[in-house]
Amino acid sequence: MSSCQCENNGKLSQEELMTKMDAIIDRIGTSRDVIIPLLQEIQNEFSYLPSEAIERIYEKTEIDRAQLISVSTFYSQFRHIPYGKHLIKVCTGTACHVKGASNVYDSFKRELQMEGDSITTEDQLFSIEKVACLGCCTLAPVVQIDDKIYGHVLPGKVKDVIDEFIEEQDNQTSTESQHKKNLVKGEIRLGMGSCCQASGSADIYKELKRTSDELGIGVKIKSVGCVGVCNKVPLIDVVLENGTIKRYPNVKAVEIKEILHHHFKPAGYLKRLKNNIINRVDTYHTDTTWDNVIWKPENERTGLIDTFLESQHHIATEGYGFLAPLNLDEYIEHEGFKALKTTLSSYTRENLIQDILKSGIRGRGGGGFASGKKWEIVAAADGQQKYVICNGDEGDPGAFMDRMILESYPYRVIEGMIIAGYAVGATKGIFYIRAEYPLAVKRIKRALELCREKNLLGKQILGSDFSFDISIFEGAGAFVCGEETALIASIEGDRGFPKQRPPFPAVKGLNGFPTLVNNVETLSQISFIIRKGVESYTQIGTENSKGTKVFALAGKIKNGGLIEVPMGISLNQIIEKIGGGLENNEKLKAVQIGGPSGGCIPADLCDVKVDFDAFNQMGAMMGSGGLVVLSEKDCMVDMARYFLAFTSEQSCGKCTFCRVGTQRMLDILDKLCSGQAQMDDIDKLEELAINVKQSSLCGLGRTAPNPVLTTLKYFREEYVEHVNGICKTGICKDMIDFVVTDDCIGCTKCAKACPVDAIPYEPYEVHHIDTELCVKCGLCIDECSYDAIIKVKKGEGDKETR
Amino acid sequence: MQITIDNKNIEVANGETILEAARRNGIDIPSMCYAKEAEHKSSCMVCAVKNMQNGQVIPSCTTMPVEGMQIESNSKEVQAIRTMSFELLLSDHRADCEAPCSMVCPHGLDVEQMLLFYDNAAYKKACELIKGAFSLPAISCDDCKAPCEKACRRGNIDQAVSIRKIIKEVVEMFDVTEIDAADNRKIDKKMFQSRLGRFSDPEKQHLKETVNTKSRCLHCACAGKTDCKLRVYATQQAIKRPKYNVTSALPIMDKIHVNGNLWFEQAKCIRCGLCVYNSNNGFTFKDRGFGMQVCIPEENCNHIDEKLAELCPTGALYRVNTH
Repeated sequence: MSSCQCENNGKLSQEELMTKMDAIIDRIGTSRDVIIPLLQEIQNEFSYLPSEAIERIYEKTEIDRAQLISVSTFYSQFRHIPYGKHLIKVCTGTACHVKGASNVYDSFKRELQMEGDSITTEDQLFSIEKVACLGCCTLAPVVQIDDKIYGHVLPGKVKDVIDEFIEEQDNQTSTESQHKKNLVKGEIRLGMGSCCQASGSADIYKELKRTSDELGIGVKIKSVGCVGVCNKVPLIDVVLENGTIKRYPNVKAVEIKEILHHHFKPAGYLKRLKNNIINRVDTYHTDTTWDNVIWKPENERTGLIDTFLESQHHIATEGYGFLAPLNLDEYIEHEGFKALKTTLSSYTRENLIQDILKSGIRGRGGGGFASGKKWEIVAAADGQQKYVICNGDEGDPGAFMDRMILESYPYRVIEGMIIAGYAVGATKGIFYIRAEYPLAVKRIKRALELCREKNLLGKQILGSDFSFDISIFEGAGAFVCGEETALIASIEGDRGFPKQRPPFPAVKGLNGFPTLVNNVETLSQISFIIRKGVESYTQIGTENSKGTKVFALAGKIKNGGLIEVPMGISLNQIIEKIGGGLENNEKLKAVQIGGPSGGCIPADLCDVKVDFDAFNQMGAMMGSGGLVVLSEKDCMVDMARYFLAFTSEQSCGKCTFCRVGTQRMLDILDKLCSGQAQMDDIDKLEELAINVKQSSLCGLGRTAPNPVLTTLKYFREEYVEHVNGICKTGICKDMIDFVVTDDCIGCTKCAKACPVDAIPYEPYEVHHIDTELCVKCGLCIDECSYDAIIKVKKGEGDKETR
Repeated sequence: MQITIDNKNIEVANGETILEAARRNGIDIPSMCYAKEAEHKSSCMVCAVKNMQNGQVIPSCTTMPVEGMQIESNSKEVQAIRTMSFELLLSDHRADCEAPCSMVCPHGLDVEQMLLFYDNAAYKKACELIKGAFSLPAISCDDCKAPCEKACRRGNIDQAVSIRKIIKEVVEMFDVTEIDAADNRKIDKKMFQSRLGRFSDPEKQHLKETVNTKSRCLHCACAGKTDCKLRVYATQQAIKRPKYNVTSALPIMDKIHVNGNLWFEQAKCIRCGLCVYNSNNGFTFKDRGFGMQVCIPEENCNHIDEKLAELCPTGALYRVNTH
């Protein structure tokens, strides 16, 4: 998506630009509703929206100036100025935020010498921007440069990342593996979700290919979908000839040879002998294999993963760890599309809807509206045409469930969608997927093609009289488009302004026709309900919340990842059993659930069970399922400020309470976080929050105050502390100073690390920090081996060190 | 269809919104983003009412009634929500209702209006206003301590407008005895006063470079000073001072000539979108969130109908007839 073609910029003649533009317009169309795909194509071609290209749109299409300005400035994907050759996206999602994303952003700007507001380097090589969430929360802080994702990018590693990227650009040579003729039985499975790739799975995949070629082992190497255990990847499952699985977490490239050799025999005898000898020599004489994974007993290697998986229940993510995302035959082999066949052969629409109603499944997108009820309304609505839209506009910072499901289990979502289409009498389906999820878009696109080939989509599906086809619409970057009516507005080629309901989209939706909008995760559970029967679904969960819920577990947790748990499990169980507790054994303070629409549940209430209504009662919300664990080192006022900054920027701007109200709340939170607030500001904030919640017209505004309201409810004393100028955690930079204590031995490590030279280089003397220069990036604290640098209340540095 | 508003039974006509039904029955609900017979989308929330059955606060201007609905339009809670919506709108409204100079003239001269005539070379009209305020136009200003010049916003930028000098200049153009006295508009001090507040340094610089009227006057006074709904309702709601920090993403005092007598000033816009929805490829929204603006691309200016100004609830889109 972001692959840049700036080589052409400037040199592109007017004529060439026109030819390219005309080709794009011919391909996409000229009606007003194609504006978003049209602008996306133009940006793909020119890396931004050149004004000459836009003039061409006015000449050749029905799109006019007013519409173009309105739409192109609403969605954050569109750029109006040229960017540098490579684009650095710094993720500022919740998980990244709590791990210091803003420092990472500052570090990049410093390292690339971008002064002030400029976001492009002078040589036009790099541009930088903050993005809401890259959906790799377990690798926080995350940075993406062009298509490559880098995980765990701490401020101190920024330089390495840039160097590594430049180096890779310089020697991009691809070594294609030769084809194997004599495949041995057994296979090697490797997770290749976006996160897995970010932590080096792509390199492992290459290494596997290369090594198996070198050793002459013709084993099948299969890339499977998300394995969920994000911080144990790259994770390899070796499936032996007899079917047993040997699992290797955190595999390094140097270990591949060993693993392959251990389990598989090369083809020829001579080669085998040679390998054997070399291998033995390697084993005894190099350090790299000393701590080798295969020397460790199986349970030590994988014990953690087992507890991680034990409490989970895979419905949406059924086939976890072995299904190759795009292998349709394999999906069918494992009962894929069985539910669709059953539906088409032995269900009437009424029976089907009854079953979905009985299953008690509720929408996984946030609100928790009964899905069956929604289906019933759409089915009953009048309309020559009906639509099913799969809502994959997962914009919450701190959530990546939908991306994972789309990337890893495309067929299951497609199957759910076709069944839904049958139930409501729709003929067209639309996947609405964020453009920030290129891999998901690519896989769904391919999966749809393969389904069409097998007549699982298209005219008279599987010989029935039901016809249904699905297309893809790429969202252009607006959180509010997760709201049904705004989503529909954007497909129609408008700004993502939500519409007042009623009429509900179920009655009057896309182009005025009845439209069923279901979340990705909801649709991915449908086939299970049909295939296994309503009862096996209702057995799972609580009274009013049935089935399972997929969460993105991230933050200060040992084992983060994508998890699917039965409703009714407690938050504590998730944190302790699945997550393995907090990292660095910090103390649990709260769990942020539901992203910017949700709230913070304090530690002492974390025995709450996962349940739509239970969360609502606490002022939080299931939301789409981000679960960010916060420790005592996190500041709750800063958390509230973070989310308000997000929602106020994402507000569509239509209604007063949301547009101005969230900004005024943010003003007050800014004052609080910089120690300038008065006591009555807290009351003002609360009054605003209550009113914004009550008087906003759509879901965004109605839920935006939740992070503030819950933190005020459970952590009010922290707000009071901030009024008194104290931020105990030291997160609010404006309220603290960094000082060096007498524990300093004068090793100069901090002085060398400081990016702004605020620590003079004075060997063997107790260092000191110039608070005027200090940008409080924390690099020195990370560097110091003697814990001699501490944060103190602003202006009290002298007292502390004296 | 029957509904109740404030416990009063009301028969709703076909296709009527709650607001329309209420008004027809003498129940006064304020509204800004609503315009009868014109396309509108609820956004301002000053017409908020409460649906007693589900406790939801809804905009009455676009909500269609349902049989048996029970609406509350005048309770303390509803009033508080309305007040807050005005307060929020006003916190994003960096503009003056009245020009400070006109406010302070001890003789009641509408100084800014006089300067507007002057800047448009309508000297005779300017002189008529002066004569309407002063018994002895040629010398009345001589002994005055000129609070008008002290109050002048231009003084915060470089130098106040030389109001007294201009008055003299105008008076000397004519034989004052031959000039008819015109009435000066009497400023109602009980009305709500929105105030622009301080200029930032870049704003000072910008205004210094761009304001090039003959008198150097910024013309702070709002075109909607008498009929701006925001001002009228804020007065009704007894709002005195801004409750929240007044900051805005909109450029202040940026007067855009649309066409003919039609002008547009973003700073006074409440983003109701009436001009957007009711012009074809004319006004448009730009950006989103707090920074969302209504703007008019230069190329679209020509085909805007002057009548559109009638829809604007504030003084953002207005007609000027100076001659």
